[in-house]
Amino acid sequence: MLDSKIRNQLEEIVGQERLLEKPEELICYSYDAYLEESMPDLVLLPVTCEEVSKIMKICSSYKIPVTARGAGTSVCGASIPIKHGIVLCFSQMNKIMEINTKDRYIIVQPGVVNIDIQKALEPFKFFYPPDPGSMNVATIGGNVAQNAGGPRCLKYGVTADYILGMEVVLASGKTVRFGSRNVKDVTGYRLSGLFCGSEGTLGIVTEIILRVVPLPETIKTILVTFDDLDDTARSVSDIIGAGILPVAMELLDKLTINAIEDSANLGFPREAQGSLLIEIDGVKEACEKEMQKVIEKVKANNATSIKEAKSDKERDELWEARRSAFGVFAKLAPDIFSEDVTVPASKIPSMIRKTVAIAQKYGLKVGILAHAGDGNMHPMIPADKSNKEEWERVEKAFDEIVEAAVSLNGTLSGEHGIGLAKTRFLPLVMNEDSIEFMSVIKKAVDPDGILNPGKFV
Amino acid sequence: MKSTVLQNCNKCGLCLSVCPTYKVLNQEHASPRARLQLINFYKDKKVLSSIGLKEIISKCLMCGSCAAICPSGINHYSQFMEMRTKMRHDHGEKVAIKSLIFLLAKEYRIRLAAGFAEFSQRIIPDNFIEKYNLGNIPVKKFPKLNKKPLRKAVPEIISPEKSKKGTVLYFTGCATNYAFDGTGFATIKILKQMGSEVIIPEKQTCCGIPMLFHGARDQAEKNILINIECLSQDDVKAIIVDCPTCGSALKNEYPALQKQLNLDDTAVQKISSKVIDIMSFILQESDHTDLFETSVKMKVTYHLPCHLKNGLKSSYNTEKILREHPGLEYIQAEDVDECCGGGGTFFYEYPEISKQMVATKLKNARSTGAEVWLTDCPVCRINLSGNLKEKDNMIVKHPVEML
Ligand SMILES: Cc1cc2nc3c(=O)[nH]c(=O)nc-3n(C[C@H](O)[C@H](O)[C@H](O)COP(=O)(O)OP(=O)(O)OC[C@H]3O[C@@H](n4cnc5c(N)ncnc54)[C@H](O)[C@@H]3O)c2cc1C
Ligand code: SF4
Ligand code: SF4
Repeated sequence: MLDSKIRNQLEEIVGQERLLEKPEELICYSYDAYLEESMPDLVLLPVTCEEVSKIMKICSSYKIPVTARGAGTSVCGASIPIKHGIVLCFSQMNKIMEINTKDRYIIVQPGVVNIDIQKALEPFKFFYPPDPGSMNVATIGGNVAQNAGGPRCLKYGVTADYILGMEVVLASGKTVRFGSRNVKDVTGYRLSGLFCGSEGTLGIVTEIILRVVPLPETIKTILVTFDDLDDTARSVSDIIGAGILPVAMELLDKLTINAIEDSANLGFPREAQGSLLIEIDGVKEACEKEMQKVIEKVKANNATSIKEAKSDKERDELWEARRSAFGVFAKLAPDIFSEDVTVPASKIPSMIRKTVAIAQKYGLKVGILAHAGDGNMHPMIPADKSNKEEWERVEKAFDEIVEAAVSLNGTLSGEHGIGLAKTRFLPLVMNEDSIEFMSVIKKAVDPDGILNPGKFV
Repeated sequence: MKSTVLQNCNKCGLCLSVCPTYKVLNQEHASPRARLQLINFYKDKKVLSSIGLKEIISKCLMCGSCAAICPSGINHYSQFMEMRTKMRHDHGEKVAIKSLIFLLAKEYRIRLAAGFAEFSQRIIPDNFIEKYNLGNIPVKKFPKLNKKPLRKAVPEIISPEKSKKGTVLYFTGCATNYAFDGTGFATIKILKQMGSEVIIPEKQTCCGIPMLFHGARDQAEKNILINIECLSQDDVKAIIVDCPTCGSALKNEYPALQKQLNLDDTAVQKISSKVIDIMSFILQESDHTDLFETSVKMKVTYHLPCHLKNGLKSSYNTEKILREHPGLEYIQAEDVDECCGGGGTFFYEYPEISKQMVATKLKNARSTGAEVWLTDCPVCRINLSGNLKEKDNMIVKHPVEML
């Protein structure tokens, strides 16, 4: 519980409306899309950088834990206030400050939802490439803090590749700005790389300058099927290996396709062991040429059918189906568990083989879904959390999937982050000195450890 | 809505993106996910019942958009309804809403309240007018009661105009029966033209949704039983509704309540499978273009009611007819399928929130330049027309009145 004197000081900053303290309100900020929950003592909804700075000054002088929150869609528990204290929720700090497509940037507050950035840019025929599956809900602050990615990051890169500048309030309450409106900028450390992906443990982001790019002239999308999952995976490594750069290359296995077909009859081939959804964009001629090369590669790997989307509508349908994969899978059991390990593209076939074998070993169903082009795997296991015995098998299977990825020079997480979910695996990919180096940075920036405590640093 | 009791909410947050209250307030505690979590916490006794809890649960339009998008197939509706019942039990209900439920539970009370002699009055009891100002809507803009309730003005069985092509039941709903008889007359006229024999069961009564939304399940139960009885007629090919909310009640909520209220399962399923909104019924009959009376071109726009979209799952039919109709120039509003903020009684319980929702609707409808704004739902109709200004020169009607 918070001392009433401190509470009153905080109320003076944000006002009564934006301070939440009733149990039924606090509960709503105790969870995100991960499995755990932990109650905050107080929730504040700031709307300006000044407010955030004043709040942080008070919190640092009383050493109160502060956990930032956007839309609470983190799947690794990053926004759960595990050490209680204060949740700073940014959902109402959501103004777009400037759109400048001439100079190719947009300036936004952290609570702006990713899709609203896309909508704002559309009239200018521009877009902001990172497209996490949660883009209709997740905030840009959360995207930055998690270095979010998505299907089209294969070609366009992840959130970190689009941050030109930032305004950050430090634990002390001091406000720092770095970067600028320029793509080329080597003035001082590139600190955006430090804060991006820091999961709210180093500072509170209050404004972001993002790079934006023009919409491509042409987009081509195909759905390819295979009789063999190995052939499917090998096509991916071959395409990447041949220097072709699709926008996206999504892999779905038989179980996943069938789950999609069960819920929405889209005419996906149910018999196929593996399917690839491949998208190419760019200038028309180049696009056609690249697509030709892609088709050669999949044919060489025994593709059984290749279907090109004939219209925007058909293209939307294919993507709609892909996006629904998680959802339709979720309907197979009371709960669903999804992984996020990532391996180099050439290792995709072995990673898939290993995943399937692990699931079989533990008697579990597994659906293979992957942003395959960049090796980002999302195997999904439908299960029932209240069934202790089954749950233990699920946990063991996930441990082994992570170990398998690491053994293939992979990494723990491609886009979902570490948060509460994966801290225990860090030693698998980082040596002691590297982990300690992160703590040194953390201590320098946040000496009292008040920012999102209890997470990976 | 499927009743997949099995699924757990995985807290993915996707429902936030479609929730009208979340979109306006940008607060997790005004989101569907939060409501579900609170219900779980309450069930696990991790949070106590309180006025604050009731407030969060009730600050919801029961629009069903969350359930429609939920990947886990959660049935928000039945969970919300059950929780509303508990909250009402613990903390009572506002006087205004209590009296509304009282009136609707026994329809003759509406007539009593309105006075026998002079029926042409406003439907709202006096204590509403004084105390609540009915949200943002000036009382004078509320619809007047029909001179005679529709079901008293027409016979119970109406013959088709030409050769008979089957029999349909018409569930008029309270709004058409008491306030919007124009919708009723137009529906009957079209059905007759289509060769349907129309039966309007005399005993039918309020579908029960207003009571259920306010957690008064006992009062609703009596109505539900009466309706099941009089709608269970063999040899009818469809049960026509003009109100999407009544429609979703018959189609989805009665089956969802079957176990709890021990309803006759076969009867409930049969009714559910026959329910169809009038516009979809017209479209379904292949030669519907004969029905259009071509006259002067009129510019119209449309608002898609949430319960038509999420409850009856009939998002495109009305617009399709409007586009085909040679006498209408249909201009789609940018936010045609966004919630208008009416939501049963939401518009006067939470006028501040409702106002923000309807403001955008008004802006976009105005910019279409339409003279008539069509919408299938009577609550949307009251909300939209109540918020239009005199100078807008736009009237709101049910689409069936435009054919
Ligand atoms: C269905 C679904 C699909 C998803 N798909 C993807 C995907 O394709 N790719 C992907 O990368 N992720 C995906 N995610 C994960 C998640 O959506 C992303 O991590 C997203 O970036 C989180 O944004 P948020 O606004 O919800 O942040 P939250 O979950 O609220 O917070 C996430 C982290 O950001 C910190 N934070 C939030 N705001 C600030 C701020 N202003 N300053 C400092 N720190 C802050 C929080 O403290 C926390 O550590 C998905 C999640 C779901 C549920
Ligand atoms: S969309 Fe469904 S599963 Fe996701 S948070 Fe909402 S209710 Fe839960
Ligand atoms: S029914 Fe509508 S208003 Fe209520 S929680 Fe669901 S989406 Fe929000």
